[in-house]
Amino acid sequence: MNDQFSEHEELLLRSWDAPVSARERDTLAEVIQNNPAIRQQSDQYQKIRTMLLRTEPDSFGPFFAERIMNMIKQRTQQIDYLIFFFFKKYQVLLVGVLVALLVSNMLLTDQLTLKGIFGLEQETTEDVFSIDLYENLIK
Amino acid sequence: MAAFKTLVVRHEGQVAGVIRSLLGTTPEAEDVGQEVFIRFYDALNKFRGESKVSTYLVRIAINLSLNELKKRKRTASRYASMEAADGIKGIEETLDLKEHLQYAFDKLDPDFRAVATLRLIEGYSTEETAGILEIPLGTALSRLARAQQKLRLSLTKKLRP
Repeated sequence: MNDQFSEHEELLLRSWDAPVSARERDTLAEVIQNNPAIRQQSDQYQKIRTMLLRTEPDSFGPFFAERIMNMIKQRTQQIDYLIFFFFKKYQVLLVGVLVALLVSNMLLTDQLTLKGIFGLEQETTEDVFSIDLYENLIK
Repeated sequence: MAAFKTLVVRHEGQVAGVIRSLLGTTPEAEDVGQEVFIRFYDALNKFRGESKVSTYLVRIAINLSLNELKKRKRTASRYASMEAADGIKGIEETLDLKEHLQYAFDKLDPDFRAVATLRLIEGYSTEETAGILEIPLGTALSRLARAQQKLRLSLTKKLRP
């Protein structure tokens, strides 16, 4: 099979898809009228083009839009969950650090009371009075 | 969300036409169709309206379909079982003209098929076709001519009056 374009075949095809000059149009009309081979080619090409051209809109079937919207909704929920899960890890880590700090505080102060755990020293009556006495002495 | 659904309904036909012309009526075609709209949804913030929504969607559809074709690495999957049974020549004898045209279309190179899909099936102008595929007008014209010639040569016997 010869798959090289003849000059006229190329012009014929171009005339359907791009602007051609008036001279080219005249040449083509003349060739189609006088050359049966080109006329036959022209008919075949036109038949192919007519058969290919879509005449009715295509579709992916019923409820395609609904399926898309469900997919988008599901994906958004998944992303929300992933964000929640991502930050949840940090929340757990933060609680862990706080507990570790409190335990270390408790061990350092050696007091098994809430004040000891939170690092609040318990002041005895003697401590308070000794401070007052000291301040009086200074005055 | 309701506005996006309206957009899907409005453009489903165009997107389905382009994808099915390239991939056939296969399960992957709908998967690609869904991917097109989801990608568009993700890119909504970046979409500046420089091109029409339909052009943008068709461009995504073409690119994803061509990727799918590359993945498949076989161009005539819908006829693969028949080819195995009858051989290519055998199939050509059994198909009617419309089926044979579809068969020959599936055998075209993906680049030729993309141009032919937009111009010959979907009816875009040659300029629009070149624009969607982001190729020069001359390249679009030459691929178009070559695609049509291949189709005609493949169908010569059946096209005789």
